[in-house]
Amino acid sequence: MEFDPGLFIGLFARTFTFWWLILPAIFLGLVVGAIPGFSAANTIIILLPMTLAMDPETGLIFMVALYASSRMGAGIPAILVNIPGTAGAAATPLDGYPMTKQGRGQQALAISFVSSVFGGLLATVITLLAMPWLSQLAFYLHSVEMIVIMLFGISLIATIAARDTLKGLIAGFFGLMIGYIGADVVYETPRGTFGFLELYDKVPLIPALVGLFAVSEAFFVIEGESILSKRGREAMQKAGWAGTIEGVRIALSKWWHIIWTSMIGLVIGVVPGAGAAIASFVAYQQSRTFSKTPELYGTGHVEGLIAPESANNGVTSGTLVPLLVIGIPGGATAAIMLVVLQYHGVTMGPDLFMDNPELAYGPFAAMAVTYFMMIFTIAPLARYMSRITVVSTIYMSPIIISFTLVGAFVPRQYMFDMYLALVFGVIGYIARKTGYHTAAILIGVILGPLLETYFLRVLKMSEGDIMVIFSSALGNVMWVALVICLATPYMLQRWRDRKAAA
Amino acid sequence: MLDDYFDELDRRRFLMGSAAALGAGILAGTPASEAFGAKFPSRNIKVYVPTRHGGGASRNLEAFTSIWKNYLGVNFQASYYPGAAGRVGYEKYMGIAKPDCYELLFGNMGPEVLNWVVKKPTFDLNAYFYFGQMDRDPGQIFVSRKSKFKHIDEIVAEGKKRTIQIGVSRLAHPATLGALALGRHTGAKFNVIPLSGGKRTRAGVATGEMDCGALPSGGIARRGKNFRILAIFDDTNPIPDKIKNAVLVNKHFGMNLPPLVAGARAFGIKRAAVEKYPDRFKILIDTMNKVYGDPAYQKVLKKTKVPMALFTKSWSREGIDKYVKDITAIGEKYKDLLTGKS
Repeated sequence: MEFDPGLFIGLFARTFTFWWLILPAIFLGLVVGAIPGFSAANTIIILLPMTLAMDPETGLIFMVALYASSRMGAGIPAILVNIPGTAGAAATPLDGYPMTKQGRGQQALAISFVSSVFGGLLATVITLLAMPWLSQLAFYLHSVEMIVIMLFGISLIATIAARDTLKGLIAGFFGLMIGYIGADVVYETPRGTFGFLELYDKVPLIPALVGLFAVSEAFFVIEGESILSKRGREAMQKAGWAGTIEGVRIALSKWWHIIWTSMIGLVIGVVPGAGAAIASFVAYQQSRTFSKTPELYGTGHVEGLIAPESANNGVTSGTLVPLLVIGIPGGATAAIMLVVLQYHGVTMGPDLFMDNPELAYGPFAAMAVTYFMMIFTIAPLARYMSRITVVSTIYMSPIIISFTLVGAFVPRQYMFDMYLALVFGVIGYIARKTGYHTAAILIGVILGPLLETYFLRVLKMSEGDIMVIFSSALGNVMWVALVICLATPYMLQRWRDRKAAA
Repeated sequence: MLDDYFDELDRRRFLMGSAAALGAGILAGTPASEAFGAKFPSRNIKVYVPTRHGGGASRNLEAFTSIWKNYLGVNFQASYYPGAAGRVGYEKYMGIAKPDCYELLFGNMGPEVLNWVVKKPTFDLNAYFYFGQMDRDPGQIFVSRKSKFKHIDEIVAEGKKRTIQIGVSRLAHPATLGALALGRHTGAKFNVIPLSGGKRTRAGVATGEMDCGALPSGGIARRGKNFRILAIFDDTNPIPDKIKNAVLVNKHFGMNLPPLVAGARAFGIKRAAVEKYPDRFKILIDTMNKVYGDPAYQKVLKKTKVPMALFTKSWSREGIDKYVKDITAIGEKYKDLLTGKS
């Protein structure tokens, strides 16, 4: 795994010759990413007969391009209509959708595209250069460390609760309670399933996601004429290319923010089993913690949009590292890529980098080229995509409900999941009407089961000794960092108050 | 001719013709058509799989049915119902599948039978049975190639000094039972950690969080560059060319465990379906047995990259019944360890 400039230059040049394959994969990925339930993993499974028929290099380039662009696609409905296409985009609407409501949808999309592209591109290049070190991360980030990472994400509940402490915490704990429904990971004992077999395997994420955000949004927008305020609608109707250009300019001016939040995504992506949802929540929470204007988060703040989008695109290259280095896929899409490579007799592991460096480094080159091509193909579409927000709610609400219910059905193909999405829709609607934050509920639903999994695992390993969570040196450093992160906003606020008083 | 017919078409003939067509249409979609002796199978066969798509069960099912469908002349339609270690899929099958031989189950017998030892299902266990075993993949203990352990004796010796963390896909699993039985027999302290599936178990071992793992051997043997198998819970080493220097647990430690076959995928069917339609079941069995000897099937199996020796070439009801009985018995013996009540 040594750095060879000649190999990399040749690899990039060769990957560019696959533009005819990458371009359709980009557009397909964008579409499937934008439709809730139709993830890259599902699509690659459907297209397996095609990818298996390709030679390994061509198949990999196609899958990688589709994977990267689907990640970006998931952010589009999250920003425009408050429907995250996947759990990885669940933190995107927190600030993306308020921007749309202010008539800045085009700008928000452009910011999201630039953050995604540069976040993803940077993470890919860093992965290529730092592969030997990154591949070691999974050997250090074990269950104890993962507990702390989860708590970084879950602490976002407290951040949201800062605006209305009691309601925020109630919503967060409600989400955590929902997240614990299902069979426990050790003894497979079902809890809180109300007798529904469909809940034994935990509350499915997509119905919860589309219910809390999309269905409740559909109920909500029907009360008005349009998603946008009157002023927002006027601004949108007058909008030319200025919104896109301004969005690109704003995003580029926040280059440092893109860099460090995409690095959070990369590091979390390298850990098998962790994923884009964790990365985007952790990045959002960190972004807010170190912001000079934390009070603006949730109101359509640019940095609140950049953080999750850069992070969830940083994850994409990270998930490929354990796949190629130790043969353990970092996520669902990487697992399917493994199936295709194994079908062609490719054996993963360190030897791959020596025996077949083109194939080992190829996915990263393909990812970098995909991101590069996306700058020119997707960014100009922001202007046209954002027009969807001026569609009347008479049409918009039924479209949202029907599309998202189909999306809720697709992953498991249970009718039950469609009903569940409606139930979550009602919960989301009531929560929003009464001032409870649906994002706090969703954080609990997504991160709660993961936290429980790691927590029960370390308890089983330590035979019930709770102090095991402080047993690792790296874990302890992370605990201190967590405490600092949680305390910093309050300390800074107190310092500012004192300064203002003086 | 046709013009003459339409010229003579009056209202009564039109209504009669329509009624006949409607009746034929209704009959074609109802069990009544089956009662008139229509050939079996006349429509696709649905298969309930109690795991996620993408694992060993779907791999074997797709390989087998890709050939079996040629003999039956219909397609197989797999539906995946993962959750609670397979319990969801079984409950679904036993709850909603019609007993007409058009709806089958496909699962991994060992781990799924152990489920019932740990927690009884809502249905009668005698209401279904297995047939058509696909593979015979023994449980084993493995380590990462980077591990300091090179022999199972070293793990046992270390287990007498400290707790050894063993990653397993789930508690109720033949490979888990093997690890627990070995620990109890040798006095080594083995702590099994369920990591929810083979992929995560391999990750736990590869990243060093677990000292070793216990899984079926096929998936590990395929990744021989990353892992080393140290002990096999069977009377013979099924793939000596792939698993070198691994000990047979019974022989090495003087134990008397039944073969702990961890990968034993087979079809299941409701007993009521066989009692109601024995002729249909006979067609299933007769055609199925032809698949085992079909060179096209061997070709498909080779593509899976799983060692060919792990796939069965034939099966018997007696063999399957004995396996289920043995696994159930040893599950009962170690029930305290599987339920955490020890």
